[in-house]
Amino acid sequence: MKQLTKKDNIGWLFVGFSIFAIGLFYFYPMIDALLLSFQSGMGSNLSYTGLTNWSRLLNDPTFITALTNTVTYLLIQVPIMIILALFFSVLLNDSTLKFRGFFRTAIFLPAVTSLVAYSVIFKYMFSGDGIVNQLLLNLSIINEPIFFLSDPFWAKVVIVLAITWRWTGYNMIFYLSALQNIDQSVYEAARIDGASSVQQFFKITIPLLRPIILFTTITSTIGTLQIFDEVVNITGGGPGNSTLSISAYIFDLSFKYTPNFGYAATVSYVIVILVIILSLIQFKVAGEKE
Amino acid sequence: MKKFLLMFLLVGMIGLLVACGNGDEEATDSGDTNDTDQTESTDEGSGEAVNITAWAWDPNFNIRALNYAKDLYDGEIDLDLEVIENAQDDIVQRLNTGLSSGTTQGMPNIVLIEDYRAQSFLQAYPDAFYPITDYVVFEDFAPYKIEATSYAGDVYGLPFDTGVTGLYVRVDLLEEAGYTFDDIVDITWSEYTEIGKAVKEATGKDMLTLDPNDNGLMRIMIQSAGSWYFEEDGQTPYLAENEALAASFEALKALFDANIVRLNSDWSQFVGAFNNGDVATVPTGNWITPSVMAEESQSGDWRVAPIPRLEVEGATHASNLGGSSFYVLNQDGKEAAATFLSNTFGGNLEFYDTLITEMGAIGTYLPGLESEAYDMEVEFFGNQQIYNEFVQWTEEIPAVEYGIHTYAVDDIMIVEFQNYLNGQDLSTVLERAQTQAETQLQ
Repeated sequence: MKQLTKKDNIGWLFVGFSIFAIGLFYFYPMIDALLLSFQSGMGSNLSYTGLTNWSRLLNDPTFITALTNTVTYLLIQVPIMIILALFFSVLLNDSTLKFRGFFRTAIFLPAVTSLVAYSVIFKYMFSGDGIVNQLLLNLSIINEPIFFLSDPFWAKVVIVLAITWRWTGYNMIFYLSALQNIDQSVYEAARIDGASSVQQFFKITIPLLRPIILFTTITSTIGTLQIFDEVVNITGGGPGNSTLSISAYIFDLSFKYTPNFGYAATVSYVIVILVIILSLIQFKVAGEKE
Repeated sequence: MKKFLLMFLLVGMIGLLVACGNGDEEATDSGDTNDTDQTESTDEGSGEAVNITAWAWDPNFNIRALNYAKDLYDGEIDLDLEVIENAQDDIVQRLNTGLSSGTTQGMPNIVLIEDYRAQSFLQAYPDAFYPITDYVVFEDFAPYKIEATSYAGDVYGLPFDTGVTGLYVRVDLLEEAGYTFDDIVDITWSEYTEIGKAVKEATGKDMLTLDPNDNGLMRIMIQSAGSWYFEEDGQTPYLAENEALAASFEALKALFDANIVRLNSDWSQFVGAFNNGDVATVPTGNWITPSVMAEESQSGDWRVAPIPRLEVEGATHASNLGGSSFYVLNQDGKEAAATFLSNTFGGNLEFYDTLITEMGAIGTYLPGLESEAYDMEVEFFGNQQIYNEFVQWTEEIPAVEYGIHTYAVDDIMIVEFQNYLNGQDLSTVLERAQTQAETQLQ
């Protein structure tokens, strides 16, 4: 018995170390930010103002625009990316495909590029005299250059394209590794029963990948809700807030305008609440029925 | 063995705690991208030189100016200045994070802040800056700069460059359209638009280039009419009833309707547009001169005219865009920093002569502006005495109170201007902007 207590103590020592670090670097800032979200004022002159930040939030058209934009990205971009990633992973898992390594690397490569670097390159590709316009002009698809980044609709399209390019390969890797864990005999049995490859995909591959699809959907949702680098570097939130995301708005509130860290904290808690709600929904819809 | 492990862990924990305890002194520098040591400065008077640091953002402009100042400094306190380059956005961000956490560690002694943002910093962090009222004779500076750098009866900023605006014009393109340079001097924005249409027809080139996300031209227009986004208190939004603002909306929309605006989406495309010869004019601050002159093949083709005026009461041909001033942080070394500024930027004629002859930078120190150096004829601009003209316009810039929310309202105006362009009614968009500004700026 005595022996056990001593072991326990040592165990607690190990755990205590990480609890201490996690508490200090995760929970303390989280609670502090929550407290901050009930304060308002310029810079360091903060004072508690109760729920005014939250009521301001509901009447703040810029916040509502940012929220709408972010949800738009989410609804359009995440499904496109998940489907593309699935599609690529199934193609690349085919053992008869030549140069598989090359294709895998090529599709995964975007995921290792720096967010800022690729954003800047996208910005130049889609500028008025950028390579995309040159291409479309030379192919006579358009007569006049499209000002992608100055048009509210096209600017959103560019952002969605950019995130999709950057993250599809990343999600594909998860599917690839999951696919390799599916026993080939399952497919063999299906083929003997006369299942077409489309049937195999929908009846075998997708159900077996479900936990991974859930995982990638949740991480992509969280990632897209926090989208910042692309928006700031490609469009700067413009034209006229039409691509502004919630995170970019938090940055503006803290660093571009006269700083109001209290209100910025309130806005950032909206992301937290959204992530929790969306993850719960996704668990309910796609999760294991336990 | 177990005891040894336990000891090891305990020592590790203590080490961590100690490191945390020291956080105040060391951890704050973690975001520092510069390898430079931010050495502590103490005013020991004689003997040791006082180390002070300064942050600025443009190596061709304000940093160069600081380095000239360093060479020319001959004040009482022996000091050693270190100039550190940071992008302007980074300076804003680091000041905000540093000052709001209440530490001056890792902060510079002297920092350059854009005039539009100055009030925001001064009011958000009231004790963080050191008033330099006693160090400089402020009557010697352009009044609009003093207005921008003062707070609660004290002057905090030492005015540096002027953002006096001008209309840079390609005379060769004007002539192709049948106009001369004189036709574009002292005109209104609607006359400017007419010339623009003719230029577009004759040459196929746009009259100017604008970034829809940058509202600079609107700010130029309203300040030229002595107006700003706020009432005189610098707090109350003044948008719905603001005639100058309404006139600037109309003038800007006319430019877009005439199809003479080339869109750009960032600084390099902006510079590229006139360096490549795609636009006939550039209405902006005089700090663009070096960038215009960078395209040597266009030498002789450019002139500088005063900016067109709005058709409202009190409209002038002089305005300001950007411009910045130096501020001293309230920490050890502040006396040395203030002395340095007062000895150089605060009234050293030789220094201001160097600025204009070496880099074409126009200061706001009025006695310095009387120097003969400003009469220099610039070959690139067809031997026009451009600096002389800028100096004259500087004196005519209407002083306005920028307040603390310029950039917040600026973003609202950008959105509402897009709505106006898309066909919404002018009074509707301005009233909506007013309501939004009132809710947002509380």
